[in-house]
Amino acid sequence: MSYMRALLTGAAVAALGTAAAAQDTQVIGVSIPAATHGWAGGMNFHAQEAIERLEEVYPQLDFVLATASDPGQQVNDIEDMVATRGIDALVVLPFESEPLTAPVQAVKEGGAWVTVVDRGLSVEGIEDLYVAGDNPGFGRVSGEYMAEKMPDGGKIVVLRGIPTTIDNERVEGFESAIEGSGIEIIGMEHGNWNRDDSFNVMQDFLSKYPQIDAVWASDDDMAVGVLAAIDAAGRDDVQFVLGGAGMKEMVKRVMDGDTMIPADVTYPPSMIATAIELTAVGMTSTAPVSGTFTIGSVLITPDNAESFYFPDSPF
Amino acid sequence: MAAETADTVPARRRLPSMSVLGPIVALVVLVLVGAFLNPNFVSAANITNVLARSAFIGIIAVGMTFVITAGGLDLSVGSMAAFIAGLMILVMNWALPTLGIGIPIILLGMAVALVAGLLAGLLNGFLITTLGIEAFIVTLGSMGIYRSLVTWLADGGTLSLDFGLRTFYRPVYFGGILGISWPIIVFALVVILGEILMSRSRFGRHCAATGSNEHVAHYSNVDVNRTRLLTYAMLGVLVGVATIMYVPRLGSASASTGVLWELEAIAAVIIGGTVLKGGFGRVWGTVIGVLILSLIDNLLNLTDLVSPYLNGAIQGIIIILAVILQREAKAKG
Amino acid sequence: MTDAAPVIALRDATKRFGPVEVLHDVDLEVRAGEVLALIGENGAGKSTAMKCLAGYQPLTSGRILLDGKEVTFGSLHAGEEAGIVLIHQEFNLAEQLTVEQNIFLGRELRKGLFLDKARMRQLSRDYLDRVKCEVDPDRVVSSLSNSEKQMVEIAKALGRDARVLVMDEPTAVLTNTESRILFDQVRALKAAGTAIIFTSHKLSEVSEIADRVTVMRDGAVVHDGPVADMTEDAMATAMVGRDVSDLYPPKGRRPDDAPVMLKVEGLSVPRFAEDVSFELRRGEILGIAGLVGSGRTEAMEGLCGLRPASAARIEIDGAPVAIRRPADALSHGLCYLTEDRKLKGLLLEKGMRVNLTLQSLEKFGGLMVDRQAEEKALDAAIREFDIRGGQRESRVSNLSGGNQQKLLLAKVMQSEPRILVVDEPTRGIDIGTKQQIYTFLRRLADEGRAIIVISSEMQEVIGLSDRVLVMRRGRVAGMLEGEAITEDAIVRHAMGVGADSQGRAA
Repeated sequence: MSYMRALLTGAAVAALGTAAAAQDTQVIGVSIPAATHGWAGGMNFHAQEAIERLEEVYPQLDFVLATASDPGQQVNDIEDMVATRGIDALVVLPFESEPLTAPVQAVKEGGAWVTVVDRGLSVEGIEDLYVAGDNPGFGRVSGEYMAEKMPDGGKIVVLRGIPTTIDNERVEGFESAIEGSGIEIIGMEHGNWNRDDSFNVMQDFLSKYPQIDAVWASDDDMAVGVLAAIDAAGRDDVQFVLGGAGMKEMVKRVMDGDTMIPADVTYPPSMIATAIELTAVGMTSTAPVSGTFTIGSVLITPDNAESFYFPDSPF
Repeated sequence: MAAETADTVPARRRLPSMSVLGPIVALVVLVLVGAFLNPNFVSAANITNVLARSAFIGIIAVGMTFVITAGGLDLSVGSMAAFIAGLMILVMNWALPTLGIGIPIILLGMAVALVAGLLAGLLNGFLITTLGIEAFIVTLGSMGIYRSLVTWLADGGTLSLDFGLRTFYRPVYFGGILGISWPIIVFALVVILGEILMSRSRFGRHCAATGSNEHVAHYSNVDVNRTRLLTYAMLGVLVGVATIMYVPRLGSASASTGVLWELEAIAAVIIGGTVLKGGFGRVWGTVIGVLILSLIDNLLNLTDLVSPYLNGAIQGIIIILAVILQREAKAKG
Repeated sequence: MTDAAPVIALRDATKRFGPVEVLHDVDLEVRAGEVLALIGENGAGKSTAMKCLAGYQPLTSGRILLDGKEVTFGSLHAGEEAGIVLIHQEFNLAEQLTVEQNIFLGRELRKGLFLDKARMRQLSRDYLDRVKCEVDPDRVVSSLSNSEKQMVEIAKALGRDARVLVMDEPTAVLTNTESRILFDQVRALKAAGTAIIFTSHKLSEVSEIADRVTVMRDGAVVHDGPVADMTEDAMATAMVGRDVSDLYPPKGRRPDDAPVMLKVEGLSVPRFAEDVSFELRRGEILGIAGLVGSGRTEAMEGLCGLRPASAARIEIDGAPVAIRRPADALSHGLCYLTEDRKLKGLLLEKGMRVNLTLQSLEKFGGLMVDRQAEEKALDAAIREFDIRGGQRESRVSNLSGGNQQKLLLAKVMQSEPRILVVDEPTRGIDIGTKQQIYTFLRRLADEGRAIIVISSEMQEVIGLSDRVLVMRRGRVAGMLEGEAITEDAIVRHAMGVGADSQGRAA
C-alpha cells in the first residue's frame, strides 16, 4: 500500500504548498481513510462534496483533505497538517482507535478544535465534538427487523465484516436483539465487507446447509455477493437478505418492493459531511456545537425509502 | 571433481520425488479430510463452485507460471484485473445506447479486456526488458497505478454493469455446456494449452533456459528479451481472459476488486513446484496450487474445524512447506 | 625433508557418496616446507581428498593425522583453526563485499568496540603486494576478473598464516605472468615452513614447483614419489593409465589452395578490440593466442553477434554478410563455443537432452518439440563425442568438466556450423579428454569445416593450429604459419616485442 501513500502524500503536500500563504483564514484539516470499499468510497464522496460546498459558503475557511490507507499513514497526515498548515481544527475519522489516540490528543493540546467521527478514541474527553455512528444500534435495528419479519423463528446465516470493534459491536447488538425470538444463527463467517469474499462464503453456506431461511449480510456490498450466490445456486429456501449502510442500488430495490431485499438499515457515510459542517459552524460562529452527536441507524422500508435515495452518490 | 562423480548418484531413480508428490498428496489429503468432515464437500455443486471461483486466479496463475519460469515476476495482476474490469464495464455501459443488449456488445467488452490486458502486459514487459528495470519495481509501480486508476474511474465507489446487460452476460460465469460451467471450461483449456506450451514447445524451453541462466540462453541463440516480453504479454492477455469471466459474476468492479490476487497467484505457482527464481516451471503444479488454496478456504467455511481467523496461517504454512519440499528435492538432485 | 614427520596426513581414507566410493584407502601426506602436487584426471578424487583433508567433508572411514595425532574436523572452521586453509576451485569470496572485507571475513580486527579499518586496509595492501596484485582493497569483489579473484584468495590465505595451504587448480584462471607470481609466493611460503598441496592439469608446472607428486586414478593413489624421478610423460601415463604421448593429432594438409570461408576486415568491438582482420580457409584450424585481456574472446563474440561490434566487411563464402545477433551468425553457419561452460555454456540444473538441443530447437519440430528426435540426437552425440557418466536425465552439473565440455561441443555441433569458433576448449580438463577434444576438432576441420581455437595454453595453440593469430591490446599483433609457430614467437608478439625478432631462437 505504500505506493498509494506516496502518491497521496505527494498530492497533499502539493496542495498544502499552494495555499499556505493566506492570512487570517482558518484552516480545517480533514483526515479520513481511503476509499478501499464501498462505504468508504461514499464517505470520501461526501467529504469532498461538503468541503467544496463549505469553501464557497465560508470564504474565510480553508480545508485540507487527506486520505490514508492505513493508520500509520493517517498519523503522518495529521502530523503534516499541524506542521505545515497550522490547522485550527481537525476532523478525523480514525482508521483505528488505539494508534490515533495519542496523535489526536497532541493536536488538541496544541490548541486546535478536534472533531472525531464514527470511531471513538480510546481516551475519553479529547474531542470537542463527537459525531458518532451507532454500531450497536445498527445491529439492534437489524435484529429487531429480523425478529419481526420471522415471528415463528427460523435458520439464518450471518456474514461479518472485517474483524474490528465496529463489527463486534454490530454483531453483539444483533445477537441480543434476536434473543428469544426463535431465530437460530446456524453459520457466521467473515465476508470482509467485500463482494467477492461474501460471494464465496455464501456459496459455501449454501453447500453446507440445505435449509437457510434468511441472511443477515450486515452490509450492502456483501448483500450483492450473497444475492449472486443464491441466484446461481437456484435456491428458493432463502426468503430475504438484509444488508446495511444504505447503498443506492439497495435502497432502490427496497423502494421498488423487491421481496429479496425488503428493507435496509442506514449507517450513512454522509456523517462525515455532518461533522465537517458542524465544525465549520463552530469555527465561524458562536453557536455551541460541542458534545456528542449520534447519528442513529434507521430502518429503510418501501414506505420511507425515497428519502434515503441519492442517485448521484457513488455509494 | 570426486564430489562431482558422487553426485551422479541417480537421484532421479527415486522418482517421483517429494517435490512432485508433495502438492498432489496435500491436495488428496485436503479432499479426504473435507469429504470426511462434510459429505457436501464432494458434491457436484460444491466442486463446481470451487473450480469456478478458482478459475480467475487459476487462469492468471498459469500466465504467472511462465513469467516466473523465465525469471520474472508480476505483482500488478490483481490491480490490472480490477482496472480491466472497470474499463470493460465503462466501455460496455457507454456502448449500450448504440449497440443495445446483444452478442456484439459482449464481444466488444471481451475485445476491450483482451486488448487492454495485452497492452498492459506489453508495457510491463517493455519496461522490464528493453529499459532493463527490475521486474519487482516495475510491477510494484504498475500495481499502484492500476489500483489508483480503477478507484478514480469508479470515483471511489463501485462501477456496475447495466442491470439488463448483466442479466444477458451472466451465463458466461454461471452457464456452461453439459453441466460444466464456462469458467471451468476456459480454465481447463488454458491449463491444457499452458501445459503443452510449457513442457512441449520451443517457447516453454526458451522460458526455462532464460530463467535458468540468461547468459547461457543468450549464447545459445535464445532471444532472452523477446522471450521475457512474451511471457508478460501472455500474462496480460490471460488477466484479460480472467476478467471476462469475472465481470459477469457480480457485474461490478471497485477498488477492492482483485486485491491480493497477485500474491495468491504467485503462491499457487510456488506451491505447484515452480522455482521462484526461475528456470523450472510446471503448469499442472500451478493448478494444484490454486486448488489447494481455494479448497482451504472452502473447507474452513464448510466445517468448523478452526477459527476462520487462522485461514491465512494455514495457507502460509502450506506455502512454506512447499518451498521446503522444493529445497529438499534440490539438495538430493 | 623426507625424514621429517608429516604435518598432515590421510591414512586409509575412504569416502562414499551414497553407493559410490570416490576415495578408496587413500594415503596422502605432506611435510612442513614441502610442495606436494596432487594430479589425476577429472573425477579421480583429487578435490574430494583435499576437501576431506581440510575438514570440508567428513571421511566415511579412515583417519586424518595432524602432527601425527588423529583429529576430526567438525567443520571447516575447525580445519582453519588448525591452520589448514583451502582455496577452492570455485571461488569462495563474498561477491558483494570489498576485497579488504573478504580478506578479513570472519576474523575482522577490532579496536575496542569498532572495526580497526585502517589496520585492516594496511594489512590487506601488504598481502596483495606480496602477490603483486594491484587491486584496490576497496573494490567490490564482483567487479574483479577471475585471475584477480584468484590472487585475492591467495592474499586471503596469506592473511590466515596457514600451516598447510591447499589449492585446487590455482593456476587454471591465471595468465602465465600471474602464475609466475603465484609460484614465487609458493616458494616463499615453502621457505617459511608452510606445507603446500596443489592440483594442476599443467604438468610443466608440477615439474617446476613441486617437490613430490602423488598421482590418483579412480579414487586411489597409483603413484607417490619425488618429482625429480618422473618425467611429464610418465606423469600423464600414470594419470590416464595408458600412453598419451601423441597428444595432438597430425596437422592437416597445407590449406593454401583451399577456398576462403571467412574473411573479416576491420572488426571493432568497443573497448575491447580494434581493426581486427583475418582470413580463414576451409579445413584449417586457426589458433588465436594472446594474453588474457587482449580482446580475443570479445573480438570473436563480437564477430558472432554476441556483443555490439562493427566491421568494415565480413564475407562468408565470398558473399558479404551482416551479423547483428547470434541468430544471424548461426544462419550463416558461424558458431561460437564459449570459454565459460558453467556460466555461459550449459544450463547446469537441466539434463543433457535439454542442453544438447537448446541452441538448435527449431531443428526438432515446429512449435512443439519432438522429444523422440531429441533423444535420438542425444544417443548420437553420446556416441560420437564419447560423453560418459551421468544419467541421461540428471543435471549436467553432475558431469565432470571434461564431459561437460564434450556435451558443449556436441551442443554447438547440433547447429551444424561450418565455421566454428572454440574458446579455451580444454580449460580445466584432464589430459585424456584433452586428447579426445583435439581429435574431434581436427576431424571437424578435415571434414571441410573451418575452426578457430582461442587458447591461453601455448602448447595447445602450437600443437593444434595450422596458423596462429596473436592479439595484443585488442589488435592483431602478428600472424604465424608453419615452422614459424614457436612459443618464443607467440610470446614476443603477445608482449609487443614481436616482428623483428621472429627468426631468433629464445
